[in-house]
Amino acid sequence: MVRAFLLLAPGGAEPPGPAPPGHAPCRLLYTRVFGTPPGTPPVPGDPPRQRLRRKEQLLVVARQVASQCRLLQSSSGRPSSPQLPQLPDEPISLQDAPGGLFQLPPGDPFPERVTVAWLSVFALAFALVCDPQENLSLAEITLRRLAPRLLVSLRLLGPGADVLLRPDTADVLLDRLLPHGQMLFLNERFLQAVDREVGGKASR
Amino acid sequence: MFTAAAESFLKQAREIQEEELRRFASRVAALLQGPELGPEAADCLQRLHLAVAATKYPRKLDGKFVELLQTVLCSSKCPEQIQVLCAAILRDMSPCNDLSLSCDEIQDTKLLSLVSSVLLVQGNKKAEVSAVGQRIVKVLERRLPEGQSAQYLLPVLSNVITISPESLTEEQTNVVSKKMADWLRYASIQQGVAQPSGGFFSSPRTRQPGPVTEVDGAIATDFFTVLSVGQYYTQDQWLNVQAFSMLRNWLLCYGGKGLKTPNSADKSGMDRSVMSMVSTTSTSSRLLPPKERLREKAFEYCQRLIEQSNRRPLKKDDGDLQKACLIEAVTIMDIICKQDSSYVYRAVSFLKVLHGRICADATYARALLPIAQFFLNHSKMAAVDSNAIYKHLFTDIPAQLFHNPSLAFEFVQFCKDNSQLFTETSSIFRQSFPNLFKFLAWNSPPLISEFVDLLPFLLDAGTAIEIFHLLLDLPCLTAALDIQLRSAALPTSERAASDPGVQPATCLEAFRHPLYKSVFQYLLRTKSAPEDAPERLIPLRQLLGSLASSPRVMQCAETVPVLLELFFRVVAEFADGQLINQLVVLLLQRSDQLYEIPAFKDDVYRVLSSQLVMLCKLHPALIVELSKEILEFSGTVSNIQNKEAIFTHVVWAIGEYMSVSYDKRCTVEQINRFFETLEAMLFEITQLRPLASTPSYAPRAISVLMATLTKLAARSQDLIPRVSMFLSKMRTFVQSPAVTSVYCEEDLEEILIRATELMNLLKMPSVAQFVFTPPVDVACTRFQREVNDSLPFALRIVTRLLEPAPGFMPT
Repeated sequence: MVRAFLLLAPGGAEPPGPAPPGHAPCRLLYTRVFGTPPGTPPVPGDPPRQRLRRKEQLLVVARQVASQCRLLQSSSGRPSSPQLPQLPDEPISLQDAPGGLFQLPPGDPFPERVTVAWLSVFALAFALVCDPQENLSLAEITLRRLAPRLLVSLRLLGPGADVLLRPDTADVLLDRLLPHGQMLFLNERFLQAVDREVGGKASR
Repeated sequence: MFTAAAESFLKQAREIQEEELRRFASRVAALLQGPELGPEAADCLQRLHLAVAATKYPRKLDGKFVELLQTVLCSSKCPEQIQVLCAAILRDMSPCNDLSLSCDEIQDTKLLSLVSSVLLVQGNKKAEVSAVGQRIVKVLERRLPEGQSAQYLLPVLSNVITISPESLTEEQTNVVSKKMADWLRYASIQQGVAQPSGGFFSSPRTRQPGPVTEVDGAIATDFFTVLSVGQYYTQDQWLNVQAFSMLRNWLLCYGGKGLKTPNSADKSGMDRSVMSMVSTTSTSSRLLPPKERLREKAFEYCQRLIEQSNRRPLKKDDGDLQKACLIEAVTIMDIICKQDSSYVYRAVSFLKVLHGRICADATYARALLPIAQFFLNHSKMAAVDSNAIYKHLFTDIPAQLFHNPSLAFEFVQFCKDNSQLFTETSSIFRQSFPNLFKFLAWNSPPLISEFVDLLPFLLDAGTAIEIFHLLLDLPCLTAALDIQLRSAALPTSERAASDPGVQPATCLEAFRHPLYKSVFQYLLRTKSAPEDAPERLIPLRQLLGSLASSPRVMQCAETVPVLLELFFRVVAEFADGQLINQLVVLLLQRSDQLYEIPAFKDDVYRVLSSQLVMLCKLHPALIVELSKEILEFSGTVSNIQNKEAIFTHVVWAIGEYMSVSYDKRCTVEQINRFFETLEAMLFEITQLRPLASTPSYAPRAISVLMATLTKLAARSQDLIPRVSMFLSKMRTFVQSPAVTSVYCEEDLEEILIRATELMNLLKMPSVAQFVFTPPVDVACTRFQREVNDSLPFALRIVTRLLEPAPGFMPT
């Protein structure tokens, strides 16, 4: 099972310019949690604290993703994500998009260990928090499917703030491709069928 | 792109005050209670969601408002977008005590799924998870009304059993298992029909659907699976996909004896007392109980998937899915065999054939891991020799595919999951550790924490020395791997072997150069080679110097200090005196033979020097046993500059352990010999030279030399006059203009104070002897601290006694 999906802006070094290089903070733009993390005791305690803990746990994951992303980009000698304006119809190729897998040990931040699969596209990153024995090949496929669809439907490459203001759009996509955190073995034709369904909905 | 506009939105949302939020919520409530829920309501809900979600601190929404959200969510007349937004807000606020949502009355499967998504994040305080599970099974049991589909429910069920497998009774799991077996095996193999769009141009006639095809376009002749392709899909085909997607989870929870949680070790199948050699056939499977029947259908499904993965897909991305399916199928087969060992025989032959098919294909490398895991789990029972599989996996794969980060990660996980394999000295797993380090050398950031877990299993008395060298040369390995990759990418015409007479101009040329080829091969070896001399790498290290600043090499270099510390910590647990001696000798040797990355060398020296102290504590006699090497090291002046940390700690160790209390074999001659060497060193570095050429040495080195000389003199008291005279000359040293221009004032003052204290101590030889050579158990508390930590305190007391301030001593 996937425990959580994250969409974040890793931040990092500002693009070179007259201003001195600083570090933009890592920002979580959209998160979706499926169920409670394994090993969390059903504490009858403070709901606000539980919510706070959940948010902080996700922020820890986001920062790790941002850090892994930066390290991978620097080691592969790639320049940090170019701010290329993309033609709206041009299919977004994710072939060379950097990505990776890493593990977070038990207690830091979830009670049990988790594996994180992540993918970086332009100045954004997508991540899945999975159980340790999950099919990681499928996780990577799922990310490569979610990313372009989210980029398009939330207009993530544009100047707007749709990602913050339209959680329903993201929710609908996730409900199709990652319902309740269940990754699906969808071949290309099935995926087309899903796209048709989602597309039909969006136009209504 | 996270722009300034979005950033300011986020800021605004965070800064909304409680009063403002309350007003906004009432406005939203008014809209929601209105006759029609249009775009304005959606817009407001979106903004409300942001206001709640943007901050991690609590946002209080009125209990009545929460109730309204719940009502709207569950209302069938509501547009879907509104429902989704209400659910999103409720989820983000979770866990929420005001929630009174229940799924019991909901008939619509899509709504049930949406409501469940809210219930399942409440933290299960009120057994919401179980309630959801119960409801889902109840809905699935009955025939669904027209227009409703079970496909929205299976993912919920999967989530429920992951969070809390106890939610379902055995009867309920049997019901679901039965359905799953049907969905997996008996989905239609005819394509679905397009839903009539009803538009102006749509044709009223619907075309006859054809049969589904395989991914390569051939007509499918067997049952439907996730690798079956059609233009449109039927409901039961969707259920087939869903059922397979959750199959592994389901089998882990309920496939074995009794209840198992997904994360517990699954050994249930092993305790069958009678092993059936005859596997059940499909025709009789209808008579099987639901669990066993599902197992049978699941096994057949996996077999079919494995066969289907042999086809060349028309769409490239389907190839990726084929591989993911392959991995899943093998994993599920493994689970089935653990739960029912009668399947082992069927699986073994099948998987051996599969292995033969894919082992030469690099794109299938990740699938080799679950196959190997299967054979590790079951080959003993099947009396099958799978050594060839392990050998191929550990020898060829890391060497060829170290640069694939996903494979690297999964491979190392595989090693961690099977760490007991590495404890057998002669096994192929243990022998391949040089290969494993290639993963780390190339993919350092994600794998360093995994290797911290793995390293202790690779270390024992037989491998320690080789691994020590390997760790110190890890950044070199990264550089060599880089060259190997670049060399392989060259067109064959450029790959001619270079002229042996000519020195290679670049690293790339050196890779094929006769002089360097075998050294590269040694560094890039796939098996442990403890006999080979690591000195061979010296010329190679120099050659690779041009790559020392590459980012990947530097990332690898950062992992080495961490691993070195771990190395010593583990080795300390089992090392005997001989191994410790070997390590100390190597430590001193290797300090000269490190890859030229300045920060790397400094960090390594820091770790090595503190670990040297630890080794001395374990085996104090090493100072005497290795006196030759230590004398040589401490007598080399350049070491004070180049390897200050190690030098200082070596000299400290001499002062501490060169004593009869630690080793009876310590003779006066030896003490004198050390004394003379160190005296010469101190003389060398405190020599007064013409102004221009005074080099500066670390003040710490000067201090420790003085202290050690004093300690040695306390044990061989003939030396006391020599030391005292030397120490008295330190005042001149410290005050000379050549020196004051090179050292800072505080350091010089410190040196002078120290020299004075030491001199005073020597005026009372028996006290000095006590202070400097305490009984061994007292000395234990002084370890692991900065070099001259406890000494100053003792010295100051003595100094005060010798040079009392007025009024201090009674007259």
